[in-house]
Amino acid sequence: MERAIRDEAVDVHALEPEAFLEEVHSFEFWFHSVQGYLAGQTFGHRPDVQGAPLAPHERERLVTVLCNYCVGETAALEGASGLVSIAPNRLTKVFLATQVADEGRHLEVLLHRLGELGVPSPETEIERRASRSLLHFKRRLLELVQSRDWEAAIFAQNVILEAMEFTVFQSHARTADLVTREVLQGIVKDERRHIGFGENELGRRLQASPHIRARIGEVKKELDHWVLESFEETLREIGVPNEERPELGRNYLEVVARLGFA
Amino acid sequence: MSDFLSMYSVQHWLESCPQGYLVGTDYGHRPSESEPELILSDPLLREQALGTTVQLVVGERCALAASSGLINSAPDEASKRFLATQTLDEARHVEIFTQRLFDLGLKKSELESAIQQYANPNLMKFAEVLLEKVDRKDFVAGVVGQNVVLEGMAFSVFEMMYAGSQTLNPKFAHTLSGTIADERRHVGFGENRIGSLIQEFPEKKPAIERMQKEMSYYMLATFADSFRNNPAREELKKLRGSMSGYGAPKAEWHGADLNELEPEEMERLLADTVLKEFKIRLGRIGIEYQTPARP
Repeated sequence: MERAIRDEAVDVHALEPEAFLEEVHSFEFWFHSVQGYLAGQTFGHRPDVQGAPLAPHERERLVTVLCNYCVGETAALEGASGLVSIAPNRLTKVFLATQVADEGRHLEVLLHRLGELGVPSPETEIERRASRSLLHFKRRLLELVQSRDWEAAIFAQNVILEAMEFTVFQSHARTADLVTREVLQGIVKDERRHIGFGENELGRRLQASPHIRARIGEVKKELDHWVLESFEETLREIGVPNEERPELGRNYLEVVARLGFA
Repeated sequence: MSDFLSMYSVQHWLESCPQGYLVGTDYGHRPSESEPELILSDPLLREQALGTTVQLVVGERCALAASSGLINSAPDEASKRFLATQTLDEARHVEIFTQRLFDLGLKKSELESAIQQYANPNLMKFAEVLLEKVDRKDFVAGVVGQNVVLEGMAFSVFEMMYAGSQTLNPKFAHTLSGTIADERRHVGFGENRIGSLIQEFPEKKPAIERMQKEMSYYMLATFADSFRNNPAREELKKLRGSMSGYGAPKAEWHGADLNELEPEEMERLLADTVLKEFKIRLGRIGIEYQTPARP
């Protein structure tokens, strides 16, 4: 049946819930999804695409922003890999393994972009420029994973972190140089899949066990401050005008609100 | 080190694996291929196939837990990214071997109970030894256990199964060929990355050597259980005999025709091959091979 679905491009949302999960959490689904947008790309962009030369202050800002994206992606890589061991079943383990590879790719393409911008030692630069609030978020996320709290960790990783990255990357891609834009657009396509998984997994659990809601609400309250602070810092660096920032903050909060967390 | 690690980048993996040898496959084999009718219709052969495939699922679940668990303790970004690709490789292996169980007629609702029923206790112990190192965030021991011992074992087991399946079951042979290509990459990373870390932390050697000895013992015990107590032994023998009678090509592996070997001879050939490989690979990274007890 799975084969027929892909061949005939049947909408996966038309499937029964169990068959839907079996399909969208599989390696095969990931494989067919990424084939489309990663084919022919090298380190996240078409090899022949060149970015226009950046003025020194623009390059400086971009390096800081990319360094912080690397912090976010390292958090996502370490968080997703830690989640594999506490995932409750085979399908969620396999999906998270596809996410681990996605996050590894994101980190790699961003590091490569820093190299293209002439940063000689990206890892040192990341350490120097990392935002305090983002580092705090990362530490808290990994603590939640370490504590084996599946619902709280998946909320912090696949809802909060992914939604934050999705919103920031999508906004940045609109104004970025051509190379950075292609790199970010590829990442955004993956993030959409990750958020979908988080919403679906958590949504079903909240429906089945409403008492989880209070605990997740506490996690949200604790993390919101750090998320919004790092949000503000990044939007400032990528040059988003003051008047547009609240709008982007709202986009992020809307994703969280879809799960009933206002 | 960074030059060698560039060979293990996500980009390199994308080009060689999903955009390379997996193109045009469905669960690792050609979409037109299916399990042979003979296996599906003979209860003993089907049972044998289910039992063997469950061991593969158990081994790959362990590899998935280990590779994902090692990411957080990896000492550098490049190793983390390689392990991210390995995590997905292992998840793919779990998926394709699980799919084979379904292709053999197992119902999805029966999966976990079938794994409990068929999983070899010695293989479970083998996995426990490795996962204990991973849980303790011991990166060096974890990579030796995972990428040299476990992957080294899987590599030889898959190669042997591939040789035995080429004629009898091309679908399964193709499924195995992709996993063999993956395992080769994993073993290569283990050997190349760990050598320098062993030099940096020589005090870790004794514990790693003990781990290798223990894992090797449980591996040999798993082989012994699989080859010596096989209820489908006579059925398989007849089948292989009839294949060679019809002029089917030899199932050659390490100079032997698998169709002609008794199960005990196959067990010895496999055990000797894996242990010889361990000795060579461990020597390359500066670990002294420890001879395990024979079950």
